[in-house]
Amino acid sequence: MTQFWEFFTFELKFRAKSVSTYVYFLLWFAFEFLCIASESFGPIGNANGKILLNGPYANTYNYIGASFFGVIVIAAIFGTSILRDFQRDTIQILFTKPISKFAYLGGRWAGSFVATVFAFSGMLFGGFIGTFAPWADHARIAPNHLLWYLQPFFSVAVVQIFFLGSLFFLVAALSRKIFIVYLQGAAIFMLYIIGVNAFSATRSLEHFWSAILDPIGFLYNDAITRYWTVIEKNTLLYSWSGVFLYNRLLWSSIGLLALLAVWKFFPMSVESLTAKSSSKRANLQREQEETVKPRRSLVAIPLPRVNQIFGPGTSFAQFVSLTRIRISNIVHEVPFWGILFLMAAISLNNGHFAGRRGGENVWPVTYLMLQSVEGGASLFFYIVATLYGAELIWRERDTHFAGIHDALPMRETTDWLSKLTALCFVELVLLTVAGLCGVIMQIVAGYYHYELLQYAKELYLVTFPQVLIYVLLALFIQTVVSNKFIGHGLVILVFVVTPILQSFGWENTLYLIGNTTSVTYSDMNGYGHFVQALIWSTSYWLGFMCVLGVISIALARRGAEEGWASRFKLARQRAPRLLPAGIFFLLVTLGSGGWFFYNAHILNQFISAKQGRVLQADYERAYKKYERQPMPKIIAVDANIDIFPERRSFTGTGHYLLQNKTSAQISQIHISDAHAAAFGSIDLQPSISNVHFDRPFHIISTSPGGQYTIYQFETPLAPGEKLDMTFSLAHISRGFKDGHERAEFAYSGTFFDSGYFPTIGYDSGVELDDPRRRHEEKLGELELLPHRDDALGSVTNLFTKQSDWITFHTTVSTSDSDNEGKPQIAISPGYLQADWHKDGRHYFTYDMGEVKTADFFSFISARYDVKRVAYAGAAGPINIEVYHIPAHNFDVDDMIEATKAGLNYYEKNYSSFQFKQYRILEFPRYRTFAQSFPNTVPFSEAIGFIDRTEKPDDIDFAYFVTCHELAHQWWGHQIIGSQTEGSNMMSESLAEYSALRVMEKKYGTENMRKFLAHELDGYLRGRSGEIRHENPLVLVQNEQYVWYQKGSVALYALSDYIGEDKLNAALRNFLMQYRYANATDAQSGPYPDTRQFVAALRAATPPELQYYITDAFENIVLYDNKAITASYIETADKKYKVTLTVQAKKVKADGNGAETPMSLNDYIDIGVFSGKKNHEKQLYLKKEKLSQEKQTFEIVVDELPTRAGIDPYNKLIDRVSDDNEIDVSKP
Amino acid sequence: MALTITGLSKTYPNGVKALKNLSLTIGNNMFGLLGPNGAGKSSLMRTVATLQDPDTGTIFLDGLDVLKEKDAVRKVLGYLPQEFGVYPKMSALDMLQHLAIMKGITNKTERNQMVDALLNQTNLWAARKKALSTYSGGMKQRFGIAQALLANPKLIIVDEPTAGLDPAERNRFLNLLSSIGSNVTVILSTHIVEDVRELCPRMAIIANGELLLEGSPADSLQELKGKIWSKVVSTDDELRALEASLNVISTHLVGGLHEVRIYADASPGEGFTPVDSGLEDVYFLNLAKQSKN
Repeated sequence: MTQFWEFFTFELKFRAKSVSTYVYFLLWFAFEFLCIASESFGPIGNANGKILLNGPYANTYNYIGASFFGVIVIAAIFGTSILRDFQRDTIQILFTKPISKFAYLGGRWAGSFVATVFAFSGMLFGGFIGTFAPWADHARIAPNHLLWYLQPFFSVAVVQIFFLGSLFFLVAALSRKIFIVYLQGAAIFMLYIIGVNAFSATRSLEHFWSAILDPIGFLYNDAITRYWTVIEKNTLLYSWSGVFLYNRLLWSSIGLLALLAVWKFFPMSVESLTAKSSSKRANLQREQEETVKPRRSLVAIPLPRVNQIFGPGTSFAQFVSLTRIRISNIVHEVPFWGILFLMAAISLNNGHFAGRRGGENVWPVTYLMLQSVEGGASLFFYIVATLYGAELIWRERDTHFAGIHDALPMRETTDWLSKLTALCFVELVLLTVAGLCGVIMQIVAGYYHYELLQYAKELYLVTFPQVLIYVLLALFIQTVVSNKFIGHGLVILVFVVTPILQSFGWENTLYLIGNTTSVTYSDMNGYGHFVQALIWSTSYWLGFMCVLGVISIALARRGAEEGWASRFKLARQRAPRLLPAGIFFLLVTLGSGGWFFYNAHILNQFISAKQGRVLQADYERAYKKYERQPMPKIIAVDANIDIFPERRSFTGTGHYLLQNKTSAQISQIHISDAHAAAFGSIDLQPSISNVHFDRPFHIISTSPGGQYTIYQFETPLAPGEKLDMTFSLAHISRGFKDGHERAEFAYSGTFFDSGYFPTIGYDSGVELDDPRRRHEEKLGELELLPHRDDALGSVTNLFTKQSDWITFHTTVSTSDSDNEGKPQIAISPGYLQADWHKDGRHYFTYDMGEVKTADFFSFISARYDVKRVAYAGAAGPINIEVYHIPAHNFDVDDMIEATKAGLNYYEKNYSSFQFKQYRILEFPRYRTFAQSFPNTVPFSEAIGFIDRTEKPDDIDFAYFVTCHELAHQWWGHQIIGSQTEGSNMMSESLAEYSALRVMEKKYGTENMRKFLAHELDGYLRGRSGEIRHENPLVLVQNEQYVWYQKGSVALYALSDYIGEDKLNAALRNFLMQYRYANATDAQSGPYPDTRQFVAALRAATPPELQYYITDAFENIVLYDNKAITASYIETADKKYKVTLTVQAKKVKADGNGAETPMSLNDYIDIGVFSGKKNHEKQLYLKKEKLSQEKQTFEIVVDELPTRAGIDPYNKLIDRVSDDNEIDVSKP
Repeated sequence: MALTITGLSKTYPNGVKALKNLSLTIGNNMFGLLGPNGAGKSSLMRTVATLQDPDTGTIFLDGLDVLKEKDAVRKVLGYLPQEFGVYPKMSALDMLQHLAIMKGITNKTERNQMVDALLNQTNLWAARKKALSTYSGGMKQRFGIAQALLANPKLIIVDEPTAGLDPAERNRFLNLLSSIGSNVTVILSTHIVEDVRELCPRMAIIANGELLLEGSPADSLQELKGKIWSKVVSTDDELRALEASLNVISTHLVGGLHEVRIYADASPGEGFTPVDSGLEDVYFLNLAKQSKN
């Protein structure tokens, strides 16, 4: 035992003296400190604004994250503890002494364990101290609970240190190779990423085995807290039960097994420890003996004469030879192949899932594939730059070859360039392999459209320069530091500091070291307008790094002296030769930087995201008071818009016909310019000018940036009186910006909407909605939609409060010869009246005719292929048109089919389509949505057009979205709710439900159940991430998970209770009664709200099911249904009697997730099935009335039953959905 | 070719005075540099090999200012450092080819001839394709010798070249070095006196950064002729008594007894016999002189 104590304390003393121990401690300290002290740091701070930063969930999650990155630290501490004796060759001394195995291994292990726990404990102290930071958001910091720190620390971090440490210790003890020790940490890290990626890509809703088998924690955290509400996250720690207990038990046992294995297999003798190498040595000895055999004369033969030639040719030959040697040094070592292999594995794995995008399968087009393979590989590019940058700079010194190398007749430049070239070569190998992995995975995925040119552009022209910047930086840092590991630290610091600075609002590319502007590739538009900024930011930083490169050459170590005095002396001697290159690169830097500055800061206004938010807050503070002031409403819009796609600009003039639809006189009109108020953009360019009215007026006030202007009429507008207003519109793109390019304007794929037109009155869309940001700007809580009986809200249009309904007419023109010299098509809602060419431009006139629409229109211009199909609608032919780029042919027919099916279902069940056309238009993936304008649906290339539906249970997303947007032509363009709480569900939930029905007709009920399982999951996860508070469906504010996912689940279940026909009839009645509310010139009256909607549902629902509407629509109700036991016996008449005991509970939750039990009197499905789990065949299904928590049913079925349960199809909202069914046990 | 070193001084940042105003002229032949560990031999050689600069002093190789025109010196230099390592996993052949290119042997035929000749001369031919990192100490040293002789250097600096060589290889190396011919300046540093005696027409002894002696081994030996006396004593007490009273140059163990060598103009006393002087006596005598001063 004393021996054990000796080894243990020795290990501790060694760690106590080692700087790295404190560095690790400080790292964890800083991480956890910032997680709590800064709202902009860490996963919790950045996410949900209501989760306590020092709460149990936050601490647990942070410890899991830190432990994940800690894998490498654990490997380093445990691995080296046992390797130290082998590296320093102390084994010869150690193992010839009588020491016990337990003392040696146990002491080393225990010392490492304590040292690692100490390092990780930095999180505890950092977090605790972080809660006292005066600048922290104390609204999100609760009084400290010791248990909130210690329980997760011990159950998550310490257990992980135990088993991973033991595993690494085992591997190190048995392999005794330094690179394995260092590699195993990185390997586990990477394999874990691969595993989690692969698992999440399967979109499995399985949370049991995955959680138990997860060694790090993200999966069990997800399994345990997936549906936790804010209140639960702020009060609950993981309980020692279920998957968490199993997981900890499993991995602790693995740790114990590893320790046993070390104890069993570690040989405690020098002989066996060096066995392998001694056999190698014997081989060598034998070979040498053989070579010595022939006797040689002692007389020396004169050496041949050679000619030495020096000059540029020789310098080049030297460079080539040096480069070859350096490359060969790298590729002859195992770590390089380890890195390459791991990178390829990750790239292939990521590439395999390139075609999985959220809930859908898409074709792995090249930009997606590149994104996937580069996403996994880029970390390796930087690891290689960091590691090999150091190796190359230090190689001659580390191998003690410097004495010979430095006395060779070569220039420092030759030597340095060979290092740079070798490193570039290695990086290019990695890039090429990553690219090849992409091509391979495209072949595997059956996508045979190889865009090799795009691969080359992305890999060699976009990514490589960025890697090169980093390579040069690493070489420079390693040149100036005195120790390789300090250099590594600095290089990594530079790498991680950029995103941190960015998250704190330091966004300027010109000072974020090595940062270039980001690029989004689009199949529609290529690299498009991102190219200029990328080129100049790249050449700026590349130039800068080359200057550092020249300095590196000047300061390169050569010779025996390392002191700065002698290095500066050498640098001065080298300077004259290097100066021209230095000046050249300095000029490149200044020139590029200057041009970048001119474009990003002079041609364009540069505003950081934070400054933008300040402006938004200022707008709200200054003008919110006018929000309820009566304004005339727009009743007609006419516009002439000229789009210049090659300049990413447009100009135009517009005309509004306004009407006083109130009962009082109106003497002022207020105009907002949302773009000048920094909303959705970052350049503050106003889009409106030259506002005129048909009567005398004067300006009372206008804000300096043009965000808000108040006009006073000389004679007030009488009730019912109409007013003409004219204005000019423009958006001009100048040069390029430092990121934040407006997505609306592209060389091909311009798409902007009525947001560029004057907004009448205060624009609440400008308001900040993230509570964290509002708090930062010292704004109160976001004012939500008013109650349903609000006098103003109930007579105001939900979507556009500045108008009720409008008539629309426009002439829009675009270029006949765009940046590629090709003609574009310009589109706006309405029917094409005329088109003509004039002065190289193509003009289109669109008119909506008599049909009134929402004041919501768009202008689109791109190079398109068009597919047109006529459909015989209920009220005449309907033209279906899809505008797409030639490469995106995949889903065009699918979209047309979806439109036909949708028109068929909606016209039959709701009402006839109000338009004679339905157009879908592709736009670039800079924005990812589809949006329903009147008979016109811009559809992002990112969410449609490359969908791939092959297997029967694939979700046909393009089909679904098409149906959803089509349904909005009814729910949104016929029914518009009042601007009050809940109204959003009357467009979104109904569109979602309608689309679901159309999908069901095509893909069958079974497919829908899978879809609904995902909808249920989406709802439950959505509410667990709620940042304000959850509202019931009919009072929904801005909770998308409520109006989409809960809405579709609730409506689908209701149709299951009362029947599809009955529900649709109710919807039709509601539609016919309330559509086109306020579509006349009369004074604005009430719009429908969810009270009328619920009434319509209730009218179609029998009395015994009314409770369901109360629960699902008017409250937040959750079930906890569970099958407890099931068994069967065979009856006399060859049938099977199943005895099934089930549990049913239901609770009501408040907006924060606090639950209160409810009494049960509900109809719930009871079902019996044959077949295996997930492939059940229904034998029996009946809605039973359940009034007790536990109830037993006896059911007789004809076939052999295997599964039985309660609510087997998960129609009801239930947080644990996979315990509803169980196996039926045999008699 | 002649190397003229004048007033060379060097103090390292840690305060060690490695060279103290050292001046030396080395002609067109083998020059042996003798001295104990830490004498400043390696500092001197590194300075001549362009790897470090002195604080003061000059070095000229004929008309060439070694300290200023380093690149020109490196072109004619063959240098074997006292300790050196190799790149792992590189073969001797590849490495010599590489170094030959670095030394400006651009003609491939010439390069091959030279590399092959050196591999043969250093007895590495059979192991030429093996990784240098698997070489034994002696093989590695031979590789070091081979690389120093690439490109017919005019200035050869070899620091402890015979360390780690077995006697046969040592002889072969000395033969090789002496065959390299005239018009080449060779500086050979060693603490093995025999190397110098066998090879070098001129030599110098340095210790503590100072020059103790410069001359030819023959002259130095001549000076000591008849002045070295030897006696065998059996006990440590006797030895201690002699050390206290006489000018003891060195002691050797001979069959468990101490052989004491004394420097004296006449017989220092009873039991002493005159013996032939060796270069080792010169060396020890000079060191002993310095430590007295």
